[in-house]
Amino acid sequence: MIDFGWIGGHLGDLVFRTLQHLYLTSVAVGAGLAISFGLSVLSVRRRIAFGPVIAISGLLYTIPSLALFPFFVPITGLTDLTAVIPLVLYSLLIFVRNIVAGFDAVPTDVLEAADGSGYTPFGRFGSIELPLALPLVIAGVRLAAVSTIGLVTITGLLGDKFGGLGFFIFEGLRHSFRTEIFLGGLGSIVLAVGVDLALVAVQRRLTPWASPGAEAG
Amino acid sequence: MSGAASVTFDHVTKRYPGSGGAGTPGAVNDLSLEVPAGKICVLVGPSGCGKTTSLKMVNRLIEPTSGRILVGGEDVAARDAIELRRGIGYVIQQVGLFPHQTVVGNVETVPRLLGWDAARRHRRATELLELVGLEPSRYAARYPSQLSGGERQRVGVARALAADPPVLLMDEPFGAVDPIVRERLQNELLRLQESLAKTILFVTHDIDEAIKMGDLVAVMQAGGRLAQFGPPDEILASPASDFVARFVGADRGLKRLSLSRVDALELMPAVTASPGDDAAEARRRALADPFPYLLLVDAEQRPLGWIEQDDIPTTGVLTEELAAAMSPLLDRRTTLKDALARLVEAEVQAGIVVDRAGRTRGLVTAEMIFDWSRQTKAAAVASAAGADAVGGHAGVSAG
Repeated sequence: MIDFGWIGGHLGDLVFRTLQHLYLTSVAVGAGLAISFGLSVLSVRRRIAFGPVIAISGLLYTIPSLALFPFFVPITGLTDLTAVIPLVLYSLLIFVRNIVAGFDAVPTDVLEAADGSGYTPFGRFGSIELPLALPLVIAGVRLAAVSTIGLVTITGLLGDKFGGLGFFIFEGLRHSFRTEIFLGGLGSIVLAVGVDLALVAVQRRLTPWASPGAEAG
Repeated sequence: MSGAASVTFDHVTKRYPGSGGAGTPGAVNDLSLEVPAGKICVLVGPSGCGKTTSLKMVNRLIEPTSGRILVGGEDVAARDAIELRRGIGYVIQQVGLFPHQTVVGNVETVPRLLGWDAARRHRRATELLELVGLEPSRYAARYPSQLSGGERQRVGVARALAADPPVLLMDEPFGAVDPIVRERLQNELLRLQESLAKTILFVTHDIDEAIKMGDLVAVMQAGGRLAQFGPPDEILASPASDFVARFVGADRGLKRLSLSRVDALELMPAVTASPGDDAAEARRRALADPFPYLLLVDAEQRPLGWIEQDDIPTTGVLTEELAAAMSPLLDRRTTLKDALARLVEAEVQAGIVVDRAGRTRGLVTAEMIFDWSRQTKAAAVASAAGADAVGGHAGVSAG
């Protein structure tokens, strides 16, 4: 059974671990997005780069997380960086696929009209291509965020300093205390769903034209 | 900018590397032609004939392999490509509206790139939406996904006109809409052009559209060669080659008729009489005329119907009941092709031409249309021959 009394007595820990979870997720997703954006633009502009980029990020994705998280400890020590690097590496495949698909989805007639209207290449990228790629980029952010929130729990492997809500799972496993396992698991799920919904709202806000029946005010 | 500027192709060639050089689809081979300011020149030909390539070389989306293109007498190669494009309107078949921008945002594209302030941009966009027949209060805030195909194309035209460019390039602009909308858009563009008087280069593969839209028609054939260049009437009356003759079609005689209207003909006067007129007098007048029918009209000269000469009573007065048959009513703006079609459809010898108030102005017969066709064709052939003599560049004034 679930011991709600225990949970009530550890609300402070819950808040701290939730914030830690969000922190690790944001840093990893932000860094993953930045790196992937660069790789994606490179892949779109120089198509020859796309194959290797996808192959390498796909290969990274296959590494078992239980092996990858401890891997960087000798190099970066027990720092946030050790937790974040694997999270970033796992996000690359999701990001690159979505961002490249986003740019590929920009209709060629739109690009031709932009060129014919006298956009500079840089202006076209910023004013036409990027906004039109945005729905799929944000879809990538949603996927990466949800997947990263799940993976953050594994960082508990590195010790009690990490793990976010995963800390409760690891501690619960050590003490065979079901309430803690439940709290960590459910908390992580709620967090993932909440973040996903928040990102949907962001997407609606940023791409009003993509919603059916939308009209600018 | 505003006004219009001539567009000149001076021995322009575009070859694509790799495959067969001049034979590659889209290649252009030694194209020379001049479009005077304010005229619509239609580039027409089968797919792969290089017509779109030719168009895109004007705003340097494609660079020629050799030769020069002049806009307003100035070599486009000497101008900055980005600045050049901002000064040339560009409309494409798939429209290419920016889906993330509203209608008004799309129309403001070039003024925004040119750095106009917001108030001036907005004024101009509103003016243009009205010009293309889209009520600004209804359409300005919509996104392209909320428009019909015809509405999108109107926005595309408004966007191209936003900075009042002297030259407009239109690449199969009405190719993606249904025939009814296409005809309406064609008519609207022609109506706009009456006041805008832009120099328009218009690409299509549809010879009927070319004939309808063009002051000048450039027929292109595979390999990017110019097969014939001249006013539509000249191309129809005197195709320069078998290719052009086949391309314009076996019905080119009929197509020529669609270029002229009833007001080109000298109408045949009708023998008319009204109900209540003396029958004997009307009969005498009808029999004196070679046309075997008397046209019964009302007091306002509006046609009521035909009475065959022999059926006119010898005594008494004419009554409306005597009118046994009627003819199609034509007006001065009816094309000769439509006039002929309606004569055939109604199986009558003559159509009645009426004015705006419906009053009878005269008669048109099929024979008159044939005679007109024969006489004007001879003139067009002579004009085409004259054009050939100076290298295929002239014939412009005949437009």
